[in-house]
Amino acid sequence: MATLTLQSLGKSFGTTAAVTGVDLVVGDGELVCLLGPSGSGKSTVLRMVGGFEGPTAGRVLIDGQDVTHLPPERRPTSMMFQSHALWSHMTVAGNIGFGLRLRGLSRADVAQRVDAALDTVGLPGYGPRRTDQLSGGQAQRVALARSLVLEPKILLLDEPFASLDQHLRERLREEVRDLQKRLRITMVFVTHGQDEALALADRIVVMDRGRVQQADRPDRLYRAPATPFVAGFIGQMNLIAGEVAGGRFVQGAMVLAAPVADGPALLAVRPEALAVSFGTGAGRLHRVTDFGSHAVAEIDLPEGTRVKAHLPEAPDAAPGMPVTVTPRRHTLYRDDRVLWVSDTAPGAAPVAVDA
Amino acid sequence: MSTADLRLAWRDVDWTGIVLAAVMAVVIIGPLVVVGLWAFAEVWRFPSLLPQEWGLRYWGMTLGRADVWAALSVSLQLSFVVTLLSALICLPAAYAFARLDFPGRDVLFLSFLTIQAFPRFGLLISIATIFLTLGLVGTFWGVVLIQLVNTLMFMIWIPTAAFQNVDRRLEEAARDVGAGPIRVFWSVTLPQAFPAIAAAILLTFVGTFYETEGAWLIGAPHVRTMPILMISFINNQLVVQLGAVLSLMLWVPSFLFLLMARRWMGPEALGRGLGG
Amino acid sequence: MTDTATSGGAATGRPDASGRVTGLILVALPVAMVMTMIVWPIGLAILDTLWLPGPDGTGARFSVASYRFFFSDGYSLGNLWITIWTTAVSTAILMAIAIPLSIYLRFRTGRAAAVVQALAIFPLFVPSIILAYAFVRVLGPNGMVDIILANIGLPRIRSPYLTVWGPVIGFVWDNLPLTVVILLAGLSGVSTQAVEAARDVGAGRIATFRHIILPRIGPSILVAASFVVLGLFSAFTFPYLLGPAAPEMMGPFMQRTFGDVLDPVQARTQAVVTFLFCAAFGWFYVRSIAANRRRMAR
Repeated sequence: MATLTLQSLGKSFGTTAAVTGVDLVVGDGELVCLLGPSGSGKSTVLRMVGGFEGPTAGRVLIDGQDVTHLPPERRPTSMMFQSHALWSHMTVAGNIGFGLRLRGLSRADVAQRVDAALDTVGLPGYGPRRTDQLSGGQAQRVALARSLVLEPKILLLDEPFASLDQHLRERLREEVRDLQKRLRITMVFVTHGQDEALALADRIVVMDRGRVQQADRPDRLYRAPATPFVAGFIGQMNLIAGEVAGGRFVQGAMVLAAPVADGPALLAVRPEALAVSFGTGAGRLHRVTDFGSHAVAEIDLPEGTRVKAHLPEAPDAAPGMPVTVTPRRHTLYRDDRVLWVSDTAPGAAPVAVDA
Repeated sequence: MSTADLRLAWRDVDWTGIVLAAVMAVVIIGPLVVVGLWAFAEVWRFPSLLPQEWGLRYWGMTLGRADVWAALSVSLQLSFVVTLLSALICLPAAYAFARLDFPGRDVLFLSFLTIQAFPRFGLLISIATIFLTLGLVGTFWGVVLIQLVNTLMFMIWIPTAAFQNVDRRLEEAARDVGAGPIRVFWSVTLPQAFPAIAAAILLTFVGTFYETEGAWLIGAPHVRTMPILMISFINNQLVVQLGAVLSLMLWVPSFLFLLMARRWMGPEALGRGLGG
Repeated sequence: MTDTATSGGAATGRPDASGRVTGLILVALPVAMVMTMIVWPIGLAILDTLWLPGPDGTGARFSVASYRFFFSDGYSLGNLWITIWTTAVSTAILMAIAIPLSIYLRFRTGRAAAVVQALAIFPLFVPSIILAYAFVRVLGPNGMVDIILANIGLPRIRSPYLTVWGPVIGFVWDNLPLTVVILLAGLSGVSTQAVEAARDVGAGRIATFRHIILPRIGPSILVAASFVVLGLFSAFTFPYLLGPAAPEMMGPFMQRTFGDVLDPVQARTQAVVTFLFCAAFGWFYVRSIAANRRRMAR
């Protein structure tokens, strides 16, 4: 149990910067997910915490102690790897007990703690097995036991379930979550799946191109994305580029009140916050997909953007039909920052004229 | 960059690699550079660090020697004959090992390993004593035979793997559009397997060109190849530069091989071939 | 494998039964060469050295006289000993260099690592005869090392040229590429994450090597060592050109017995002795390559 502090952490390979200026504090017993597309630098951050990469800038502190230059074997962290990374020349018990034996524990102590760890991950009696006799899910559990048995201050997980099928992934995810709550262990979890992050994390750090875009509670990320990237990455979002002039955002036929300085702006509207009326307007219905619980209409705006809108049920409308869209709630971005957030009251949308 | 950042960047440099590269450059490239210097030195007296006079005089001298031309001619003839015979004998066999089923196939395939499983010179002595009774010692064809044995393994194993790696679906697609079996072999199988087969042929040629021990044991003193001439230059030649010039000339086939090998095979493939 | 081969018969348009005959015909010539040029000479060498003509020159009979001579002759034993010593020392030095080098190459990427790899492979493309000449010019009397030492005011080295260390240096230089290549092939089976996981649970560099890397590349090390031992034990060129005249290694010794002393029986006896000393390595080498092939065929 411990706190992890990253101070303006950076890593560049030659002239390319993989990670730039990451500041983050992970509290005691907190589960933080690093979320981002591949190449966003999330794994590099995790590997710098684990000591597998040396940062080219900044510091890593664990409980206030600078570990930036310690090798992995001298850090109170433990990593679970994507490919489970079990040593195939050792048995399950050999894998779990390796770290303990290195610490000079007696044979009996090692055996006892290995058994306890196997119980924790729900694989009692698996000690004598060979690693190639394990299924994918079992191998990841053994890897988890191998990490937990050393009682690390911080557990690091690098997309540990990426190679498993959907069903197994969800089950292991829940087990890890329960275990984390029970043992109150500080965890940093890297993933590129937003479902996984939303299901697991106390807090999500969204990364893109080596920078932290936003670090926040899952619900806040969805409701108040700090940058257009986060807006587009978490859930679905319609992004429409336009201009603000004289207190109004204008794009094609769409005009919205925007009491901000003049200049370019990016309009972000969730599909569920887009009201649609059929029969008139400059938009053209492209397609309607019925998902049963709700329907999604894809609409071509006159300037070429295609937006999505959620409807309670599939309308009786043919492709090509004129459509008017009205944002009920929207956010304007400029220079990667929030410019203005509309009133939250539904139905109280500001001026929305669709010629 | 702040000083802290500079310190971090400094730690990130692969110092082990730089030191290793420097040491290995001196140990591995250094000796060859010295040979290169000698080849163009007209006067190099101890203890000067570099030759006092440079020039091509010894190139003229080396190229003017009849024994050099004779050895080069013998070496080239030998390499061509051995490579040709080896290809004629081994390539059909390689195809058979890759594509046909016959009794004892696996055992016969592994039998070529025996060439590698015995200390080579001991094996050569055993062969040479038989050649002695057959009157093959000191003859061109005796040397050809003994070189041929050396080439068998690579000339069968590499092309066999090449034929096995040709995607059967390509051949089936060709049959499908109406090509007969021989047509399929010439137009699909052979071109697909060609790079590896070419590599094996090249390996055979270069290997034969540089083979020293069999040529020395069977060929001496009548059949003198380039490496044998080089041995006598190292042992008996008082003019240092002649050996240096001959070394550079001798290196040409290996250098060409190096250029082509870079394209054809990575170290991993080579290692697997050797059973690592 | 069997079914690819049968469909091979179909692809070439031959029925299977004639494919069997064709196959045997196609491989007959090279297999016959192995039989007549490898198996027959070795068998004959063993037989003929044990089946000697009687003292009156007639009527061959079983006798271990030629082996008794070899193992009681001080000079022959000295040569055998120097061969064992040179082989053991060269192999040990090679491994001491090649194992750390391969581990470095396996786990490091970047420009420096690429240069190191190229340099480690380079001797593969330098014929040993050229290396022998370069050796004399660098480490021989008045060689480059002496020149450099003289220029910085140090005494000359005791040149390894024509001593037992001459062949050792040549062997190490010459065999480095293939040793590294074999070890790298073995190391490619050790995943980066497996090593990182070991560091993560507290293993330092030494412990990681001992417990994680070594168990995985042990077989590769043995293959590389067998390969080197087989190559070195009866090597001729380096000992002949760079080694001492007496005692000499088995290679030049056999050559002299055969070519200068004109004693084929004793030369063959020496050859059979080298076979015996290398039998274990040869067997191991063949076995592991055969196993490797079966694994790849599967």
